[in-house]
Amino acid sequence: MTSEYGETAVIQSLAPGPTEGVSYPLKVFYCGQCSMPTEYCDYSGQTDLCRAWATQNAPELLEGLEISEEPAEGDEKKKQKRGGKGSKTGAAAAAGGKKKSGPKKVTLQREPRGKKSVTVIKGLATFDIELKVASKLFAQKFACGSSVTGADEIVIQGDVKDDLLDFIPEKWPQVTDELIDDLGDKKR
Amino acid sequence: MFKKFDEKEDVTGATQLKSSVQKGIRKKLIENYPYLEPHLEEILPKKENFKVIKCKDHIELLADHLGVVRFVKTRNTDYIPTLRTLHKYPFILPHQQVDKGAIKFILNGSSIMCPGLTSPGAKLTPQVPKDTVVAVMAEGKDHALAIGLMSMSSEEIQSINKGNGIESLHYLNDGLWHLAEKPLN
Repeated sequence: MTSEYGETAVIQSLAPGPTEGVSYPLKVFYCGQCSMPTEYCDYSGQTDLCRAWATQNAPELLEGLEISEEPAEGDEKKKQKRGGKGSKTGAAAAAGGKKKSGPKKVTLQREPRGKKSVTVIKGLATFDIELKVASKLFAQKFACGSSVTGADEIVIQGDVKDDLLDFIPEKWPQVTDELIDDLGDKKR
Repeated sequence: MFKKFDEKEDVTGATQLKSSVQKGIRKKLIENYPYLEPHLEEILPKKENFKVIKCKDHIELLADHLGVVRFVKTRNTDYIPTLRTLHKYPFILPHQQVDKGAIKFILNGSSIMCPGLTSPGAKLTPQVPKDTVVAVMAEGKDHALAIGLMSMSSEEIQSINKGNGIESLHYLNDGLWHLAEKPLN
């Protein structure tokens, strides 16, 4: 083998590699209705809803790009409705709705970490409380470690659930006693 | 594989990783997807910690610091990008293109059959060995619609032209797709 050959073999991948002159990451438009890239709306089984969404939210995408109005597509749509696809998308939509209307609630939970345990607080962000500030506050109050571990989750090292039940309503009056849920221990 | 996948049911726990382990995973990703290297910083910034979310059936999800699932590991594959990651960086996996007729079956979760890969509308990337993770593209579409595992090599698909060619791991609108839609906690 020549050395040239060796050099090309450094990248041992069959992937095409980035196209030159295109900047990544690519921006892909997803349909707000079926959540797929807009070019696949034809196959969503709810073409009419997709079209309605597109006309409302992204009219520039409609131009020739997607959701053709050929009768053949209509047939396809009907076929899919009879199959499992229709019910599935319906179920998915229902699940999505549930999540959105989720109650404004703070949940406390003790979670074992070996022989010690931590306290997990969720839902503070739904009350417009700055998580970083809150976590710092907990750390100071309980003299322990505390960190923001998710979009709406704080972990406090040590079992401070009982103290929290008093401390949170005191600190943030908008979170009343009833709005705090004690989930107890998390099972391993 | 992810036809039914629900955050509540299938997730068993999330762990913050040690930075040494994170380094190892980053290295492995670059090893598996060499083209990803210049972009890995955008996907998993070095400064931020990413999380591993363990699920049933030996499935592991890799979520970035915002909680968006970027990679998945299954029992028989290494970390593979999710479709949303792949859409942004389509060049990291070898492409296999199917014809139009196959699209609706794939979107229902079916495996990719050989004839769908060899017909005129399709494009088969040659020399892809068995058990490679590939991006499944479609005739006339710009974006991938599924990620699969080659159950035969490209040559075998061409010559046998029957039965399963690519096993579907992850496709548009499956459970994982919806999971990756918004950040997890």
